[in-house]
Amino acid sequence: MTELLQYVANGLVSGGIYAIVAVGFITIYNVSKVINLAQGEFLMLGGMVTVAMIGMNVPYALAALLAVLIVTLVGVLMQKYVIAYVKKASPISLIILTIGISTLIRGLASLIWGKDAYSLDPITSNQPITLGGVNIAQQSIWILAAVLIVLFLLWYLMDRTMLGKKINACSINPMAARLMGISPAKMSMLAFGISGATGAIAGIVIAPLSVTSYDIGVLLGIKGFAAAILGGLGNPLGSTVAAFILGIVESLGAGYISSGMKDAIAFLVLIVMLLVKPSGIFGERSVGKGGL
Amino acid sequence: MKQLIGKWGKGLGIYLVIMILFPFVMPDEYYRSVGIIIGLHAIVSIGLCLVMGLAGQVSLGQAAFWGIGAYTSAVLTTEFGLTPLLGLIASAIVPALFAFILGRAIAGLQGYYLAMATLAFGYIVQIGISEWEPVTGGANGMISIPKIGFFGDSELSMYYLIWGIVTCVLLFSLNLMHSRVGRAFRAIHKSEIAATSMGIDVRKFKLNAFVVSGMFAGVSGGLYAHYMGILDPQPFGMHESTKFLTMVVVGGMTSIWGALIGALLIGFISEGLVLLSEVVPGLQGDVDTIVFGAILVLIIMFMPEGLVPRVRSMYERGRTKKAAAQTGQRMERKAAS
Repeated sequence: MTELLQYVANGLVSGGIYAIVAVGFITIYNVSKVINLAQGEFLMLGGMVTVAMIGMNVPYALAALLAVLIVTLVGVLMQKYVIAYVKKASPISLIILTIGISTLIRGLASLIWGKDAYSLDPITSNQPITLGGVNIAQQSIWILAAVLIVLFLLWYLMDRTMLGKKINACSINPMAARLMGISPAKMSMLAFGISGATGAIAGIVIAPLSVTSYDIGVLLGIKGFAAAILGGLGNPLGSTVAAFILGIVESLGAGYISSGMKDAIAFLVLIVMLLVKPSGIFGERSVGKGGL
Repeated sequence: MKQLIGKWGKGLGIYLVIMILFPFVMPDEYYRSVGIIIGLHAIVSIGLCLVMGLAGQVSLGQAAFWGIGAYTSAVLTTEFGLTPLLGLIASAIVPALFAFILGRAIAGLQGYYLAMATLAFGYIVQIGISEWEPVTGGANGMISIPKIGFFGDSELSMYYLIWGIVTCVLLFSLNLMHSRVGRAFRAIHKSEIAATSMGIDVRKFKLNAFVVSGMFAGVSGGLYAHYMGILDPQPFGMHESTKFLTMVVVGGMTSIWGALIGALLIGFISEGLVLLSEVVPGLQGDVDTIVFGAILVLIIMFMPEGLVPRVRSMYERGRTKKAAAQTGQRMERKAAS
């Protein structure tokens, strides 16, 4: 029983990270109808920039803050100079484009930081907390807290503020939004910025738990994408739930079947899901026309 | 066939001459081995081109079929003592079966869903290869896979064997493109709904394209296994799939010639980068990743139709302009006289 609880606890932590990635995907997708396969690289950049800053004797908190800002900027620039340029492209071209961006960022990271793995100090001590026989690293609690805060803020932004209403308007009907004086291009840029920021935060909080290196973004990004599809593209709440389910299934698979097969299990679940119900567990939310 | 030769005569002629003469112009074993690898990649990229350009789908896990083909032939020949020829036949059939099953399953998916499914499939296969240790040797890989004996085992004969197969694949695909099947494929690429309403069974065509591409990749993988003699799971993942994708995109998704030229270009760029990294010691990390990423981004931004269709349309525009200018002059002369 404790074993099971332990796996579930581990699954919740990775599920939380997938949730942030998935919601990042959806934030961008809803506004611009682009699936940003470079989402995972935001996480990698977040972790790596923080490590690099700390290496330059910048205090931890400031380093993390700067990293988030830098990655946000990367997201915005990416939208402004690359994605916006090809607004009329087909989904296939857009997929290829974002794969290209992701490959490019990863390559540059390997050139700048090399292929070594770096680790980041945990926010509080390394001592795990024992709760009913289940060991939980303190960092895990930080991760979950960060995930919940980020998700809550995003929900608040999208549902309760004028800015969120503008973004939603662009996603439902960009033409009508433009007639109301909202610039879909700007909102799309904002969406990329938000995704960059949330991705960077996720990348920073997981770096102490698992090492960070130039290539961690690929798998994290794809798992988040998987969660976004599992939950129904365009449906942030559904995707969050799906992300936690994915994290737990994966952790149980790693525990009871084989740790090497962990990723394969996650993807197998996804393929089966795509076959049974392609619109995701909670259904694809009708997100309107969107587009740039 | 006659029509085909007439239509592609010039291109095919140039291709055959370069292909046959290359090993003599570059009589170095090293260049021959580069040529062999490029040929192997070209087989995969032509198959991928059928899926992407003609059927309008995307496959981000093409290296998986390559890997299945490679391991099928390798396992059958080393553990069950089959001859390489039989192994190669199996390495065409097994990936095609996988492609059939996967294709059947995902035939209804489009766009992002399809991308995700093929990505996931690619990962599953690579992980499966590394984890199925008793058969595939896991991460340590396999050694002493027999060479292909029936065609001689020098680099030169291997080169001709592989480029012979490339030529067959090329002719098959070009022929396909100019048949009813090819027109149907292009219709699907342009608009699935319109194609369906013209009575084209979109699902069936997509499935066929997928199976054929899986088969091509598998054969190439089998040849790769026998050529290298050793195998490990590393080259059958996302990195290689992205490379295949880059080849097809660079050359032009809708052009079979484009896939071939893309494979050539990417092959030469890879070799160039290897040479460059020997000269410039500061180039740690994956320089090729940077270059491929940049190529993908730039091509989609500035030349989404790809190199070959762009050059062809420039050439044709030039010709019509010239022709127009000539008729214009003639008219003027007439008017003057």
